[in-house]
Amino acid sequence: MITRVAGKEFIEMLRDGRFRWAAAIVFALLLASMVMGAKHHREVKRQHDLAQAETRDQWLRQPVKNPHSAAHYGIYAFKPKMLPAMLDRGVDPFTGQAVWLEAHKQNEFKFRPAQDSTAVQRFGELTAATVMQLLIPLLIVLLSFSAFAGEREQGTMRQLLSLGVKKTALAWGKALGIAGALGALIIPATLVGVIALALTSENGLLAASASRLAVMFAGYLLYFGVFIGASLAVSARAPSSRLALVALLAFWIINGLIAPRAVADVARRVYPTPSAFAFQQAIDHEMRSGIDGHDSEDKRAEALKQRVLKQYGVDKLEALPVSFAGVSLQEGEEHGNVVFDRHYGELWDQFERQNRLKQASAIFAPMLAINALSMGLAGTDFAQHRDFAAAAEKYRRMLVKMMNDDMTYNAGKSDFSYLAQPAVWQRVPDFEYAAPSTGWALRHQTISLALLALWFVVAMAAALIATKRMRVD
Amino acid sequence: MLTKIMQHEWRALRADRTLWVIVPLLAVIIVYGVYNGASWVRFQQATLDSAANEEWERYAQAKREIVEIEINNKEVSPFTDPRLPSVASGRSGMRYAQLPPAPLSALSVGQSDLYPYYFKVSRQSKQTFVTNDEIENPTNLLAGRFDLSFVIIYLFPLLILTLSYNLVSAEREQGTLAMMMSQPVALRSFVAGKVGLRGIVVLLLAIGFSLAGFLLSGVKLTAEGAWWRLLSWVGMVAAYGAFWFALAVAVNAFGKSSATNALMLAGLWLIFVLLVPSLLNVAVTSIYPVPSRVEMIQATRRASAEATAKGSQLLAKYFEDHPELTAGGKADPTDFYTRSIATQEETERLVQPVVDHFDRQVIGQQSLVDRFRFLSPAIVAQAALNDVAGTSVARYRHFLALVDEFHQGWKFYFNPRIVQKARFGAEDYDRFPNFAFREEPSGAVARRVAIGLIGLSLPALIIGWLGLRVLHRYRLAD
Repeated sequence: MITRVAGKEFIEMLRDGRFRWAAAIVFALLLASMVMGAKHHREVKRQHDLAQAETRDQWLRQPVKNPHSAAHYGIYAFKPKMLPAMLDRGVDPFTGQAVWLEAHKQNEFKFRPAQDSTAVQRFGELTAATVMQLLIPLLIVLLSFSAFAGEREQGTMRQLLSLGVKKTALAWGKALGIAGALGALIIPATLVGVIALALTSENGLLAASASRLAVMFAGYLLYFGVFIGASLAVSARAPSSRLALVALLAFWIINGLIAPRAVADVARRVYPTPSAFAFQQAIDHEMRSGIDGHDSEDKRAEALKQRVLKQYGVDKLEALPVSFAGVSLQEGEEHGNVVFDRHYGELWDQFERQNRLKQASAIFAPMLAINALSMGLAGTDFAQHRDFAAAAEKYRRMLVKMMNDDMTYNAGKSDFSYLAQPAVWQRVPDFEYAAPSTGWALRHQTISLALLALWFVVAMAAALIATKRMRVD
Repeated sequence: MLTKIMQHEWRALRADRTLWVIVPLLAVIIVYGVYNGASWVRFQQATLDSAANEEWERYAQAKREIVEIEINNKEVSPFTDPRLPSVASGRSGMRYAQLPPAPLSALSVGQSDLYPYYFKVSRQSKQTFVTNDEIENPTNLLAGRFDLSFVIIYLFPLLILTLSYNLVSAEREQGTLAMMMSQPVALRSFVAGKVGLRGIVVLLLAIGFSLAGFLLSGVKLTAEGAWWRLLSWVGMVAAYGAFWFALAVAVNAFGKSSATNALMLAGLWLIFVLLVPSLLNVAVTSIYPVPSRVEMIQATRRASAEATAKGSQLLAKYFEDHPELTAGGKADPTDFYTRSIATQEETERLVQPVVDHFDRQVIGQQSLVDRFRFLSPAIVAQAALNDVAGTSVARYRHFLALVDEFHQGWKFYFNPRIVQKARFGAEDYDRFPNFAFREEPSGAVARRVAIGLIGLSLPALIIGWLGLRVLHRYRLAD
């Protein structure tokens, strides 16, 4: 019985001109966004690969110079993009693309791509994620708002039920019919998407991202399911199809447009972040006066001197077998690292708190769950930006320490006029970054996943209960 | 007649539940929007104040140090001696160039959350200070802010459509239309009266709540330029609203059922507010692709390596270009700072073509958007509201130009003094160049806003007029 109802719904929708038009538009947008995404992805990847190779080359080709100058010259780290990022650009337009790794300082990522766009970009970028998060739910609403309310208004409901069709069978049948019609749109789009991904990727990258893509796909199916369930439930209970449409459109607007902004503002208020100015002031202050404020630069320098003298068992700096300049440079780095870890750690934790609050708010709007989940799996959420930033910082500290150590053990008394050979630059390993695993990405999305599943179950249950209790006319 | 229709409509509207759901909802979202905008402005202002404060203290500190050094004849490192121009133009004397929020910035956050609103200008190259971004969770930037302009651009049309999607169709469906038309009144004046009343109610509510929001969140309406900006804002909101009312009339005129009207209007809203802007964005970024900044970073690095390698050659050229600097015999080509000035100038010269290419592409995008924004009233409204609020890219670019000018002046003041090894006294610190923000000429802003106003009113008038014409053939009953 269920399949018959589903079949009837499916055929009816395919024959409906409105659906065909709407579906054709959504399909075209989905394709266009995937093609654009693939193109963009290839371009960014090409540039980043080239730049990464060039920055390494520049590092290696440094002439004979003092290792500390080399550390000041530093190296750039460019954020790589994962393959699924072509489906969902996430926060990438709003985070910097590159960070300068140099002596003394943990730098912020610079150059947010959104800064090189016009204000139109703020209306939202056309990506596969936007189409799936906003337009397909709208299509579902349009397909299904009259599922029951319409039958009632045409008087066919009474007829249908008099044939002995069970209400639950009707509900399942309608849901499957809508899902089928949607499938007619999504399956070809997915095939095109997979082909686009395969063409974009090189040497087995697609296989590496397969699990991310699979979970992402499943997430979107759950999200569509929420809208199918909710639409059927509302259609079953609404006094008229017009009211069903109004209620569902209101839900769509609150879910897709109002909730993300409103929640972002609430999160900012609950977990405020400092201004860049105050942040830098605080770091500068602790760099100068020590973490607790009583440990001035002079005091620290004196303590270090005593410590090093004692360590080498000599009584004056001139008698040291190592370069004291190198030692104190590294000591400065160690102090800076503690300060940076404290401040950047606190700031980024605060961002993550804001993001968790947003994920938890998905209890009011499933959009917040799928949005976070999709970015997470595309590798374009804040957590993965932070992971990269942390890896780059770790590399910076290693590089700077290698330079300082070279000075400490090889400079002798010449300190800053000591010149190191290019072989020293060669010893620094290349910066390599492995993106976190799917499991890692999912662990940051447990709240989103749980709430999305909850929404799905509740929406389906609501559809079943509402159809069981619906009026016949 | 029109007033009579409006009076009657007012009674009908008051009796309808819809209005009483809409009024508190509108009040809440508008006041919340203004509050959010205002708190962002307060945040910026507080940051600017603490920056100014830091600068003041730094100057006071430098002057104290100079006095102390001179009295005690103290030995000071050439890297920290505040008397030296190289130090004064950098760590001890650098100035903040500030972009103060405009009087009505609380209306629209616009692009102001993306661009720095102050720069720490020193003798270093521009690249060292232009990327002074404010800290913000990128996830929040992606979502955008819940400010008044969001309410106006996205939600205000929905409110209007809710009140007017069944303007005529409901009368027909209830059977009251035929009855009404048996009276000596034309359908057009009837519709005009209905729309007119709704327009007045909605506009009064929107403006009233916004003003209340301003007062509650402490926006100063007494600031210079606040009034004409406020008036332009009212005009924009009215024109934007008129467009959506006109659209509702036109859709109603086709004589379809209320449900079909609702669907069509929702579809049009989707097209104008979501689809056209994102498609336009795709179009402009494909026509004028901005290369990734990654290329600029690399170009800068190549240039600076090249300039450093040329070293002494550059220095010779520098003195050739500035013979006046060698006059006193104080200039010393081996001096570190003299060298760095020469290499910095060369680096900037080498990088300039790359920077120009970026600017050209971004300006190309902007001019395309400016030309094609009339495809969607939402884009026109966004641009105009940002202009009125002073959070548009145009005002930011104006600020950047002022900063550029100031930076040139700063280098012009200090570089010769560095080369000639001048020494500053405490009183010299009061004579250093200072940055003063000049507001964009009001004429330029007013012209952009006026074009926006026309770009909204004209389509509104045409669509409304066409709608009323088609209405002529309206079937009064099913």
